[in-house]
Amino acid sequence: LGRQKFVVLLLGAIALASSFWFLLDIVGAVAHRSPVLRVAEFEDRFVDFPKPEPHMVYGYVSDNAPNDPRSLWEYHLTQYVLAPAIIKDSANEPLVVVNYHTKGLDLRMLRNNHLDPFHDFGNGVALCRRSQR
Amino acid sequence: MTLLCLAAIWLAGFGLVRWLFPRPRGWSLHNIWLFSLAVGTGAGVASCVYFLALLLAGPSVAILAPALVVVVAIALGLGFLTKRTGTQLDWAASPPVPRYLRILFLAAAALALVMFLSAVLYNSHGEEGAWSIWNLRARFLVRAGTFWRLAFSSDLNWSRLDYPLLLPSLVALCWKLSREESTAAPVAIAFLYGIGTLGVLISTLAALRGKTMAMVAGMLLLGTASFVALTAALYGDVPLSFYILSAIALLCLQDRHPEDLRFSALAGLMAGFAAWTRNEGLVFAIALLLARTFALFLVRQRLAIVPQFLRLLAGMAAPLAVLITFKLRVAPPSEYLSVPRAVILKNLTDVGRWITMIQGLMLVLLNFGRFLIPIVLLLGLYLYLLRSRPSENVASSESVSYRAALTTAWIALPVTLVVQMVLDVLYEPNLALEIGTSGERSLIQLWPAALLAFFLASRPLQLVAPEQDRKSKPAGKSTRPKSAKSRHSVAETH
Repeated sequence: LGRQKFVVLLLGAIALASSFWFLLDIVGAVAHRSPVLRVAEFEDRFVDFPKPEPHMVYGYVSDNAPNDPRSLWEYHLTQYVLAPAIIKDSANEPLVVVNYHTKGLDLRMLRNNHLDPFHDFGNGVALCRRSQR
Repeated sequence: MTLLCLAAIWLAGFGLVRWLFPRPRGWSLHNIWLFSLAVGTGAGVASCVYFLALLLAGPSVAILAPALVVVVAIALGLGFLTKRTGTQLDWAASPPVPRYLRILFLAAAALALVMFLSAVLYNSHGEEGAWSIWNLRARFLVRAGTFWRLAFSSDLNWSRLDYPLLLPSLVALCWKLSREESTAAPVAIAFLYGIGTLGVLISTLAALRGKTMAMVAGMLLLGTASFVALTAALYGDVPLSFYILSAIALLCLQDRHPEDLRFSALAGLMAGFAAWTRNEGLVFAIALLLARTFALFLVRQRLAIVPQFLRLLAGMAAPLAVLITFKLRVAPPSEYLSVPRAVILKNLTDVGRWITMIQGLMLVLLNFGRFLIPIVLLLGLYLYLLRSRPSENVASSESVSYRAALTTAWIALPVTLVVQMVLDVLYEPNLALEIGTSGERSLIQLWPAALLAFFLASRPLQLVAPEQDRKSKPAGKSTRPKSAKSRHSVAETH
């Protein structure tokens, strides 16, 4: 009887302590907000973007470094936000969504990608045209 | 409106399982079991109806809403108007549950609830695997209207386009009928699957091994932080774990009630819905069929092989037909097919990849569930401390009636895991990363069913002294079969 009580109490104590530890992790994540945007915050940046229609295809350019893990995450998130339009990770489309993290559009990045500004929605989101030059 | 829609889906599931296993209304273990099974049954049926309606008639609400109403009405009519009587589940006789175990269970439940709510309030869209696969697909199904097949455009091939549609269909159905894309739909679905998994585990163990063991198993599941975290992450792993657990649980009940083959039919349906949830579910469904046949052969129940196999197949038929339709008519070919044979052969013969896999799996096992002490060690200690002495060889006699189901579980669950691991070794370009990100999720899919099999195979728990037991509980209340009761009474006297 004693052994059985001991093992059940041990299982319960470890389960509760582990859950509590994990809960502290969540509270820590909430308290010390990481610099990476959450999905809802990222989505809010697109609030002024025209409602995407099916069969629309946009290119996508970002000022994130290519090896930055946030780069792919934000590209996928842009697709999630703008569905049912298709977002291609390329500047070779007539219209290109630019996702930037600076105060203003980086004109050098646009030049390098042969893009002309079309509409800057603020919040780090802009729509650009493929340059005709 | 989202919650109303989900309530209707749950009721449809309840009607269907109640039709199979009728029982007078009111508070009973049987009805808890039915309500738990109803979560996955209703969700599976509703998602199949949505997908077929979309495929055959397009995305119009004018067709979807009546189709769902008809399904709910038929299911409820079947469930509540049936005059049949059938097998009923009752609490297995066991010593009373000690107060400290109730407190531990309630504390684990409260912590799990707080964890779930904190996680979904912090990020209601779930983790990347949820929004970039399931909810992205649901958004396409709802937003693209008649162009819903754009959800499977080759430009989205990073989004696992060949994954089945149970979850996206369910979320899209709720969004479509409620006319709002609220994150409440995927969050509520995840919560229901989590609660349903707990309910199936507890109610099945309570019927087979008594309340004490059911509460210990439930406490462990609730205390598995990864399980709660993955539920809140809105991944497909917890819904899949629900179906895997339900299929195994129903086969355990089939062993207890060999004359009632409806258990096998419903187990087949659950395995079919597992295949409709994730590709790994298809591996499980096939493994289950083969393992069950082998297990019945092994325990010398050869006469039961054909009837049970046919019922399992019959149960699986409808979801598998929907899955095959999806794979043939909608989904692009699996990404595995695009990997050149030379690469597969190179990966197969690369010993380093196999070592990486085994090392990764060991690490995942040791850290599994985010327990502060590895759970494999804790469960090993549990078995050691509860081992039978020669004079009290209860476990072996107790588990005899479930040998077929336990053999099925101990074959089907590892086979499902091993097949996933082998596919990763053969096809995944970055194997270490894959194990790191999805190794634990693969184990979580099997964890509730493994817990059921573990506690069913282990020795009965005796947490209250027999004298106290006799004083506090008059005997002879249960309506279980006599033979089973006598077996438990053997356990209680030790």
